[in-house]
Amino acid sequence: MSTPASIPMQGSNASRILTIATHTFTQLVRMKVFYFMGIFAVIAIASNFFDLPQHEGPESVGASVLRSIKSWSLGAMTLFSVVLSIVATALLLPKDVEDRTLYTILAKPVPRIDYLAGKLLGVLLLVFVSLALMDLLMVAVLQIRTTMVVAQQAEMAKAMGWPQDAIDSLRADTLASGPNAALQGAVLAVFLRAVIMASLALLISTFSSSTLFTTIVSFLVYFIGHFQADARDIYLHSGQAGEGLFARLASLLLSLVLPDFQLFNVIDAVIEGQALPLLTMGKLALVSLYYALFFTIASWFVFSDKEF
Amino acid sequence: MFRPPMAENPPAVEIRDLVKDFKTSFRRKPLRAVDGVSIRIMPGEVYGLIGPNGSGKSTTMKALLGLVAPTSGNCAIFGKDSLKVDSRNEVGFLPENPYFYKHLSGAETLRFYGRLCGIGGKILTQRVNELLALVDLEGARDRRIGGYSKGMLQRIGLAQALIQEPRLVILDEPTAGVDPVGSRQIRDLILKLRERGITVFLCSHLLEQVQEVCDHVGIIFRGRMIREGRLEDLISIEDQTDIVLKDATPELLAQIGDLVSKSPGASIVRTGKPRTTLERLFLREIREEEE
Ligand SMILES: Nc1ncnc2c1ncn2[C@@H]1O[C@H](COP(=O)(O)OP(=O)(O)O)[C@@H](O)[C@H]1O
Ligand SMILES: [Mg+2]
Repeated sequence: MSTPASIPMQGSNASRILTIATHTFTQLVRMKVFYFMGIFAVIAIASNFFDLPQHEGPESVGASVLRSIKSWSLGAMTLFSVVLSIVATALLLPKDVEDRTLYTILAKPVPRIDYLAGKLLGVLLLVFVSLALMDLLMVAVLQIRTTMVVAQQAEMAKAMGWPQDAIDSLRADTLASGPNAALQGAVLAVFLRAVIMASLALLISTFSSSTLFTTIVSFLVYFIGHFQADARDIYLHSGQAGEGLFARLASLLLSLVLPDFQLFNVIDAVIEGQALPLLTMGKLALVSLYYALFFTIASWFVFSDKEF
Repeated sequence: MFRPPMAENPPAVEIRDLVKDFKTSFRRKPLRAVDGVSIRIMPGEVYGLIGPNGSGKSTTMKALLGLVAPTSGNCAIFGKDSLKVDSRNEVGFLPENPYFYKHLSGAETLRFYGRLCGIGGKILTQRVNELLALVDLEGARDRRIGGYSKGMLQRIGLAQALIQEPRLVILDEPTAGVDPVGSRQIRDLILKLRERGITVFLCSHLLEQVQEVCDHVGIIFRGRMIREGRLEDLISIEDQTDIVLKDATPELLAQIGDLVSKSPGASIVRTGKPRTTLERLFLREIREEEE
């Protein structure tokens, strides 16, 4: 308190956003409820350790066991990341308004977009860290189980007197179902979907005043996002030729604001053991970035006129 | 810091014809919370806005901080429009009944707000220590805010408002709900700010406290400013003079009475024992109890 106005710096937007983001991250981590969710997700993935394979026809069972581990783990990740990104985001804004902490933040030289971006980033940081931990666990489980399956198959093949090239190709097939780059791509896709959902929840929470409303509407949009492409196809091919152009335009407009989550079916393809081309991944990342930016900017528009 | 030469000495607070309507429901007509209020506070002044609950004090302050947009009129802080972010560089705000993030400790709270203002590193650490000492919360620095008492919350709120060394501090009911000891602490803090030349804009419905710290006051009622000016001018009774005597004998009093009756035009309005205020009595008793 020596000389008033002796602090010339104001800080950059990036440092302010980072401050709010790390604060939001700590805030969420210190909310115990998300611990429990995280623990459940970890248990769900870890349970694959103990489900030992039956000794019946390992050449068919082997691959399906690995597939079910991937499906189960990615499912747990999806559930956890979507719930976390929606509920956590929906929680944050109303809480700050209610506790009037928002006044103290916006009374500092903090642009409203920095506040929103910080909150969003904080949630995404938590989702990212949790997914990374689950990913690590999944890869570990999958690695161990793959080694076991490979060993069993080799034993069986030798007992049945398979030729060496058949053994080798079976081994290659099984290894392809183990942890690989495509699997990491699928985890990234899970994260990208959470990014879209968190920014959507942010947008909804800027004009709703309750956490419950935001949560419900976000989940509705999530489910609509899964069949909107089907609905669009049915509508377009239902023979209304006269309105073709209009309908096409309308559906294009709709897909600009409403994410089409069928893009994320690539995750299922990876579970089935297919590769994930870099191009598909890049497209997915771009689309997700578009929606995230669109929703964040839209929430800024709503939020900048808001009064408290 | 660079200052444009034009605005050599702008007022710390400039509120011009502020009107604020709130939409209540769809059909009814909007509620006018603030109705044509103008306030100008020069640097170094301590300004008290007084008025009953619901008279528009908080709304005026929020408009000044850009938290609500004026229906008409405008507000500026050191010449910068309140609707712009940079007007908030030189202002600290303590809201009414503040709550901070319960999961943070006192020191973490101050660090958080400091970083928002772009302060970091050693300067921030030093600043946090200084402020915790100033508001007498060094003992509670690592305790979670969730466990703070009302008075402590109010003081950490004041420290938070001062984190970037603002030249203007806005305090919304700084002593509401705080016990007399705590509110005395807050009063002393405000006096310290005044000594340092920091402009203070506070509002309260506790008249006595406003009287003790403010040099300018405004009285707001139902959104309108009904009286404004220097405190001394507003409350002094121009044609009267106080004389307070100690251990005066009845003879002395009689002599004074004679003197007064001899001088033409003068009269004694009242004699008696001056009363201490209840607040002072209470504080004195506690202090004696402590010793
Ligand atoms: N966000 C708001 N929406 C609707 N009415 C409001 C809002 N904020 C304040 N008011 C109304 O404006 C009036 C003034 O409120 P306020 O400025 O908080 O008074 P004070 O701080 O002097 O007690 C009150 O009648 C209050 O009900
Ligand atoms: Mg008020």
